[in-house]
Amino acid sequence: MMRYRTAFTFVLLAFCFSNPSQAAPEKVYNAESITLSNGMQVVVIPNHRAPVVSHMVWYKVGAADEPQGDGVSGAAHFLEHLMFKGTKAVAPGQFSKIIRGWGGEDNAFTSWDYTAYFQSVSKDKLPNVMALEADRMLNVTLPPKEIASELPVIIEERRMRTDNDPQSLFSEQMRAILFASTNYAVPIIGWRDEMPKLNRDHVLNYYQTWYTPKNAILVVSGDVTMNDVKPLAEKYYGFIPSHDVPDHVRPITPDFPSPTTLKFESDELRQPMFLEAWRAPSYIMDKKEALALDVLMETLSGGSSTELYQSLVVEQKIATDISLSFEGDSRGEGSIWLSAVPAPTVTLEKLQQAIDRKLGELVKSGLSDEAFQKAKTRMIDQELYARDSVMGPAMVVGQGLSYGLTLDDIETRPAQIQAVTLDDANAVLKKYLDPVSPKHLPVIGFMIPKEKAK
Amino acid sequence: MRIAFAALILFMAPPAQAAILNIQQVTSPNGLKAWLVEDHSVPVVSIRFQFKDAGAINDPKDKQGLSQILSNTLDEGAGEMDSKAFQAALNDHSIALSFQSSRDDFGGSIKTLSKYQNEAFDLLALALTKPRFDKDPVARMIDSNLVRIRSSMTDPEWMNARLTNAVIYGDHPYAMNTGGTISSLPRITPDDLRAKFKTQLAQDNLIVAVAGNMSASEVSGMLDKVFGQLPKTSKVQKIEDAVFDDQPSVTLYEQNIPQTIINMVIPGIKHTDPDYHAAEVMDFVLGSSGFGSRLTEEVREKRGLTYGIYSGLSEMNHSSILSIGAATRNEKTDEVIQITKDVMDGMTKANITEKELKDAKSYLIGSVPLQLTSTDRISAILIGLLSDNLPMDYMEQRTKAIEKLNVDDILRVSKRLLEIKNIKIILVGHPQKGDHYKIVSSLPNVE
Repeated sequence: MMRYRTAFTFVLLAFCFSNPSQAAPEKVYNAESITLSNGMQVVVIPNHRAPVVSHMVWYKVGAADEPQGDGVSGAAHFLEHLMFKGTKAVAPGQFSKIIRGWGGEDNAFTSWDYTAYFQSVSKDKLPNVMALEADRMLNVTLPPKEIASELPVIIEERRMRTDNDPQSLFSEQMRAILFASTNYAVPIIGWRDEMPKLNRDHVLNYYQTWYTPKNAILVVSGDVTMNDVKPLAEKYYGFIPSHDVPDHVRPITPDFPSPTTLKFESDELRQPMFLEAWRAPSYIMDKKEALALDVLMETLSGGSSTELYQSLVVEQKIATDISLSFEGDSRGEGSIWLSAVPAPTVTLEKLQQAIDRKLGELVKSGLSDEAFQKAKTRMIDQELYARDSVMGPAMVVGQGLSYGLTLDDIETRPAQIQAVTLDDANAVLKKYLDPVSPKHLPVIGFMIPKEKAK
Repeated sequence: MRIAFAALILFMAPPAQAAILNIQQVTSPNGLKAWLVEDHSVPVVSIRFQFKDAGAINDPKDKQGLSQILSNTLDEGAGEMDSKAFQAALNDHSIALSFQSSRDDFGGSIKTLSKYQNEAFDLLALALTKPRFDKDPVARMIDSNLVRIRSSMTDPEWMNARLTNAVIYGDHPYAMNTGGTISSLPRITPDDLRAKFKTQLAQDNLIVAVAGNMSASEVSGMLDKVFGQLPKTSKVQKIEDAVFDDQPSVTLYEQNIPQTIINMVIPGIKHTDPDYHAAEVMDFVLGSSGFGSRLTEEVREKRGLTYGIYSGLSEMNHSSILSIGAATRNEKTDEVIQITKDVMDGMTKANITEKELKDAKSYLIGSVPLQLTSTDRISAILIGLLSDNLPMDYMEQRTKAIEKLNVDDILRVSKRLLEIKNIKIILVGHPQKGDHYKIVSSLPNVE
């Protein structure tokens, strides 16, 4: 249940980040944007289907902006929880209850690059939710008593999401190795042994440093127009003074001389699995390559009729499942992830060899033009679905703007996809996924079930 | 826990205001019926359908998972098209087709852009008339379900759900694993799939819901084209209601993990019961609302014992339960259980406050429009109403019924339902063991 404030990864969002067709209007969302005098961006995405709005405030800051190397982690996500623990005007724990009493829903989430708070309510409650959200942008009190009772809650959250499950623990380790020495190596929720050290100063410093109007974006999607929203935004957010924020530091992981292979043997595992991850540029680092990578992924692994599944699962019968995905929606480095499940009698080593062989062949032959064109069409078709929701467009627009895209980047994505050439896709295939000499050596993970000792 | 919540969504979703949702009934020339909500704001169509009582309750015990495998293979080739050709035709037109089996019913859904709707309906009609069940794709789907089960075996919530089913349902068919077991899945053959397909998916147990960019006359044509060739009558298993025995119990499956996953279950209430809406309010105040609920307040907000604690009413055709789920560090398991019992008991001793009543009503009525924001959510609400045999103006009726409730109604239903002396508790983790704990050494219906 994503019922409430939760740690959030952007893997989930990647797939709805796609776009319209040749016949569709040039802009995907027809969003309007203004900037208030204090620097806060306001974006409105009209959608008059039901008399409701989604109101979101996105802060352009996340777990990767926490101070590094101080032996503490998880402040960004902990603050997100504590934003519900009271202001000068609203008592601790009341925020969500008030929204619920209006028939609305609310939640919040934290990623490495952004943090967002949102409410879905009937449109007549828009001024009310704005008043509440603006209040906590300025006036959070962070009472020590509430901090003390919430700290065990986030530790339970970590146990539930990660520590209870060896597969989650292993993913966390792979990521830490992949992004070694950078901010993306640290889990959003924090390391198990570092979370208990979180205190009021950590969250207060983070709040005072980053939570300010010019580092925030208001996104309102639903049964309203900019004419409705502008005066409200000016009234509730416009008077809040802004201060400067530091630069976002996003180091690049060094290239090491040898590939890393992690072998995780455990008697708690029952299913062998093969994982492989490579670093890659994000949209902010290299937009052209990131786009080509997205189209490449769709071409090779966009459904069971595409190349990787057909070759390794259907024809060679060496895998039971395989998928390839690209995480490029970030301010710093992106990554490519491959996961595969061996067929019943196949060893992980044999599966790895087959995958390498297949990638090698693809690098040599290039993609089929037909498969490549179909992948682009699918991605553009997806955009026609994108408007079929109130919350969805607010998520896509808010996320993109938060990690550093422009509204134009988001609105014209279909044309950008259309402009990717077969050569572009083949070039990134060769550059990042060549098994012989990839630009960045991969981190490889074997998950190996061990017989339980009786 | 998962199961309880999944069912809950269907029941929470249906609320309010007929003015917002204009449902039309469409009848085709051949007499097939559908409910339709037209909406031309986006070029998208969503269709959901169900074959009532054709779900996993029909699976033979030694072939648990048969319905699930049918749902996985119906889109793996039909007519002249093999698996790859069929999947490519869907994929190339960005058509989302899927089938699902619950315990009770077998269902499917298709979502398409209007520009591809003819292709979509042709493919669906083909899947529902000439599915191939070729040996290879059937084997692939069985393998991938085995992978799913083995991967889930590190997920303590999944383990708890398996154990809960066995504890609650005992010998009843609901105790079987809808997803199959490691030994049952390999026994399933293409012939088993064909037999189920031929006998259980028919016009007499079919319900259809449509939302989006389609007119009534288009829907009428679609009905005959897609469903017109199905057999007239189905042959499905009739089963007895599950009986909830009144023996309290604590069942533990020990796992070496830092938390204990707790599930507490008591009998629930059917949606046809006159007190159902009072029970919705009770459940909201108790725990379904998350923040603001008494359980979240006591267990999370005041004591920091959990990240989440929820209650939920859930209902199937032959059973209704109320369950409460939470996860806490092992050493606090008893404390969480005790607080939960105290909160439940408290609701049977005194009226909820007028403020709690008002907030619950506002949410249960006011959140309805939030569900009406996308085409497939609207079709999901429609199929939920049809599946439960509810009238077209159910949402309006529900609003009126909830508005009328007073605190005495809630106390009455709390006294009736929140009977903690019969509670069944299911634990997965490493808590301190009580004398009366029943320890199980392996998960039922997994291997």
